[in-house]
Amino acid sequence: MIALKLIGGSLIIFSSTMLGFYYGNRYSKRMENLILLENCIKILETEIVYGAYPLPEALFNVYRKGNKKVSYIFEKIRVHLLTDKEADVFNSFSTIAQEIKEKLNFKTEDIELLLSLGRTLGSSDRKDQEKNFKIILNQLQVLQKEAKKERDKNERMYKNLGILMGIAILIILL
Amino acid sequence: MEEKDIGIYENVIEYISLELSNALNKIPDKYKANVEEIRLRSSFPLNIYCMNKDFFVTREGLLTKDKDKGMIVGKKDIMKTFQLISNYSVYAFEEEIKNGFITLKGGHRVGISGKVLYGTGGIENIKNISSLNIRIAREKIGVSNKLIKYIIDYPSSIHNTLIISPPQCGKTTILRDLIRNLSNGLSYLNNKGFKVGVIDERSEIAGMYNGVPQHDIGPRTDVLDGCNKRDGTMMLLRAMSPEIIAMDEIGSIDDVEAIHEILKAGVKIIATVHGSSVEDLISRRSLSILVNERIFKRYIFLDNSLGVGTVKKIIDGETFNPISLEKGVI
Repeated sequence: MIALKLIGGSLIIFSSTMLGFYYGNRYSKRMENLILLENCIKILETEIVYGAYPLPEALFNVYRKGNKKVSYIFEKIRVHLLTDKEADVFNSFSTIAQEIKEKLNFKTEDIELLLSLGRTLGSSDRKDQEKNFKIILNQLQVLQKEAKKERDKNERMYKNLGILMGIAILIILL
Repeated sequence: MEEKDIGIYENVIEYISLELSNALNKIPDKYKANVEEIRLRSSFPLNIYCMNKDFFVTREGLLTKDKDKGMIVGKKDIMKTFQLISNYSVYAFEEEIKNGFITLKGGHRVGISGKVLYGTGGIENIKNISSLNIRIAREKIGVSNKLIKYIIDYPSSIHNTLIISPPQCGKTTILRDLIRNLSNGLSYLNNKGFKVGVIDERSEIAGMYNGVPQHDIGPRTDVLDGCNKRDGTMMLLRAMSPEIIAMDEIGSIDDVEAIHEILKAGVKIIATVHGSSVEDLISRRSLSILVNERIFKRYIFLDNSLGVGTVKKIIDGETFNPISLEKGVI
């Protein structure tokens, strides 16, 4: 009987700890992915402003050179752009919005920023594109700072909360 | 042959917005194989030029002369088509847009007109695009085969040659095929092939797309794409050691200077010019210099009396007497 109680108790603590870690990790994952996204956008900027590669090729190069954890979204945008003749660049960016919200732990404002890149991408000359990239990258920096703050604040709290919740439940049950 | 031409047409309309390309896809095959231009004008009916006539295209893909029945092209269609043509990348075609056209894969050219914006260095951009003119390039391999012997200077060279014709009579097509023949080598000259340098100011001769010529211009040909004739001449002479330099649409004083440079280096020239008679040439100051100096030894006149690219006559540049032609030269 005691063995059963021990196993049950440790299961409860284990699962609530995992839950805490899961919630806590979301913050550091967002942070990490925002940094990777920044790298990708910087590669895209180089491809466009200095390389003057046509957009599909530029997007493919980002996919190839960037960290695949995030850069796969640019490949998805490229494929959509080339297959759907009715779509424009913005439409192709919108198709991935929902997915990256779930998979990359992005918040609505992160996605909004990415979509605003889609609105201007490719529609003007190089000088103008460069300015747009600058604005987007600046905003991304702001988002990163905010994400860092949130992570520092919440990550440890969620993790501790998980463990403590487990212990609390255990005490109540005992 | 016809099937290939239809294929070319169908490739080109891929670049046009879906609604319009659906209509264009329904026109009869006979016309598909012969369309020369597709013209999109904002809020006017869709227009095509075909066998020297123009038609409006209805939504059902019928050809009509009645402009009220034609399918109206919207601003959205123009924008979408422009996006497809520029591959969603206006920045990649900055220079081309400044020149007023973009070259598509296959060497087809799309002319752009709209509101032109000036900056410090000349034209900076075209916005509010109102018209697009898609010119379908159809290379006619072999059109110069019968012509070539008239420009050969035995035993191992060619005459400086000027091709003269009104617009849309096949100047560039003939020039391109001459380049191909000379570069490939001629049976008349024991298969000697010439090193040909092409200054392709308007990207029409070779139709370069991503650095690959879209037309057959022979294995010994070097192309300077989008380069003006004066700079191009100097670059070719300095580094590429051509035996022949080919250029399209000469006319300015700078071009005459370039031609003098070419002659100094002992290189032969093939060029084209707008016009229809020797008098036409003399009436233009820069060209009259060339005519009076007897620089060109052969003048080839084209018109479209028997279809595009009919050779009207060939004149000897020394005596200005016509050279008698064999029957059936194009």
